Amino acid sequence: MPSGVDTSRYLGLYVSEAQEHLEQLSQNLVKLEQAGSTGPVIDEAFRHAHSVKGMAASMGFEATARLAHRMEDILDAYRSLKERVDRATGDLLLSATDALLGHVRATADAKVLPDTSALMGALERKLWVLKPDTTPRPSSPPPPPALARSLGLPPRFALRLKVAAGSATPGVRAFLAHKRLSGLGNVFDLRPGLDDLKAGRLNDGSFSLELETALHETEVRAALNTIADVELASLRLIEPDAPSVPKTNEPEGPRAVGTEPARTVRVRTELLDQLLDGAGELLLATARVREVAKSAPAASRGAMEGEVDRLNALVKDLHAKVMKARMTPISVMTDRLPRAARDIARRRDRDVELTITGAEVELDRAIVDELNDPLLHLLRNAIDHGIEPPVEREKTGKPPRGRVQVNVRRDRDRVVLEVEDDGKGMDDAKLRAAAVSRGLMTPEAAAALPMREALMLCCLPGVSTATDVTDISGRGVGMDAVKRAIESVGGTLEIESQKGKGTRFRLLLPLTVAVVQLLLVDVGDETFGVPVAKVNGVVEFPEEQLARSQASPLLPFGNTLLPVYSLAEVLAVPNGHVHAGARPFVVVEAESGKVALGVDRLRGQEEVVLKALTRPLDLVAGLAGVTILGNGQPIFILDVPRLLT
Amino acid sequence: MAKRVLVVDDAIFMRDIIKDIFASGGFEVVGEASNGVEAVERFKELKPDLTTMDLVMPFKNGIEATREILRVDPKAVVVMCSALGQEALVMEAIEAGAMDFIVKPPRAEDVLAVVKKVLGEA
Repeated sequence: MPSGVDTSRYLGLYVSEAQEHLEQLSQNLVKLEQAGSTGPVIDEAFRHAHSVKGMAASMGFEATARLAHRMEDILDAYRSLKERVDRATGDLLLSATDALLGHVRATADAKVLPDTSALMGALERKLWVLKPDTTPRPSSPPPPPALARSLGLPPRFALRLKVAAGSATPGVRAFLAHKRLSGLGNVFDLRPGLDDLKAGRLNDGSFSLELETALHETEVRAALNTIADVELASLRLIEPDAPSVPKTNEPEGPRAVGTEPARTVRVRTELLDQLLDGAGELLLATARVREVAKSAPAASRGAMEGEVDRLNALVKDLHAKVMKARMTPISVMTDRLPRAARDIARRRDRDVELTITGAEVELDRAIVDELNDPLLHLLRNAIDHGIEPPVEREKTGKPPRGRVQVNVRRDRDRVVLEVEDDGKGMDDAKLRAAAVSRGLMTPEAAAALPMREALMLCCLPGVSTATDVTDISGRGVGMDAVKRAIESVGGTLEIESQKGKGTRFRLLLPLTVAVVQLLLVDVGDETFGVPVAKVNGVVEFPEEQLARSQASPLLPFGNTLLPVYSLAEVLAVPNGHVHAGARPFVVVEAESGKVALGVDRLRGQEEVVLKALTRPLDLVAGLAGVTILGNGQPIFILDVPRLLT
Repeated sequence: MAKRVLVVDDAIFMRDIIKDIFASGGFEVVGEASNGVEAVERFKELKPDLTTMDLVMPFKNGIEATREILRVDPKAVVVMCSALGQEALVMEAIEAGAMDFIVKPPRAEDVLAVVKKVLGEA
């Protein structure tokens, strides 16, 4: 960009576009690693790196441009050499992509760009290996181990090798070993140097080097074992291979809507939210006009009601279109999964094939945003705790490669998202025991739980079947957070599992979060909305006939007894009503199971536009949002699962 | 099943020695070639598990032949045969993708040790 032009006005565009290029680059790289450097994919990867370089240079972000330039060079080298991208290089390029994303995000937040000089050095060394003739020999030393780890570089081994004393050609033997190791990754710090090595000038027949490779130690040993007269004197991991949490922090900010680049326009997501708010207000205003029209003089009432109907139809149509504009294909989430699966599988030494179907199904953007982390967590769980190591799988007659499937489909007005693995399944006995040992239920209650509910115990905080807490899935968001996120968008979670066969997590999701059907209940002088989706049933029952043998009174419902809570007490609403005779109870699905909520009066049902609560009201437990009814009355919508916690 | 070997050398004398060594080690010599051109042809046709390759041969030398064979099958296992003093050429062949080398005059135990290692049998 010519000097003097203010680049800041292009910053937003730069950030969003560069992020998209980098995300696609990352997807390309994973594909390259799987399929070898096939034409179209490497061309595409090259173009993404190239675009980022150009954009960063135009904006004056030198460091970002240089990093992208190196990547472009390496991809170009692979393209012209028609060589396969090996795992070590795949790791390096993915690290570089992540680093570039880090740059772009830092730029967006007006922060100092993270130092990527070590990574830059690694890229330059790789380039030198690929094209020694045209590349200046890199001078920067390899990154220190801690930094290498933070960059996600592969582990490094220190090897010492010895050529058999009787060998007639020690130099060639040593060279052969060096060549074999170079094929496994990047070789550093060769001692003596290559010329001395080739000439056989070895100290007591020994030489040493460091090997940066993504391969397992046993694979390195196996490769050396095919060379006669060269003995591996020692091999040690320089870098303790502490599995680090895969990078899951997703880029913030705007995202393209839709998948057809030619026919879309970028819209800030906040604008979409505002449009939806506006359309929602219009719906409510129309409902209020309808109420007013009812009390209009009889002469004009007919005409008014006709006009209100027309207005209502228009507004509904507008609302539907805004909702549609917010629909985002699920691929926005699932496109990231292959990379994540690869990283997790590598760190845990699993062999996993991930298949994704139905990624074109669309969901409201708000739901997609909310489910990003939970979906990743389910994937991690599947690989980490579900899929067994290849050796173990073969022992039980399974193919060594595990399968994880993410299947999405539309089912009437819902979207069903399943994460399924063919791993070892969940152990319900352990879950029951864990729930008991944490004092969450009695042994009898735990034993009596049906299988489906026992499996759901894994969603209680602190209960997990994983005996080994790994860095990957044992910490951070747990299943309780996953379940909470799913429920926060109005969805539900179901778990099926068969020991030895596998586990299936099924997410039932609404298409949109914004419109909810409410059951309106009165408590004292207040009205509250209970999402109909959470209501199991409504019964009227004389309060004085409730079973009172336990701490809380019990209501007979079907063939069970449900604990009864007075909604007035739970919400601390002053309650002036005395209940003689039958009282209505709303049976809902709370966190702990079904409960009956005692209310004063049922007012009926209404479809409303849910509005999120703002500070400080969002801190109040048990409230999901607020809405304005057709008659203009504002009411709170109850967060049923957490109402009683 | 015995591993199938293709022996490439321009001297009949040398091929016979190498063939006998392989026979004694339980290998099956499925073919021979006396120059680089022939070597590539025989390789395509026989698809042996192992090819021993002389370095210096008429028409096409062993390094060129090795390169071509690896283009046909990148997983091909080629072991060079060289006299002492040819180290530089052997290293060139290794750069070209040869998996290992044996030194002429070949001694049975050395040759068998190298090829068994290369084929992952030792």
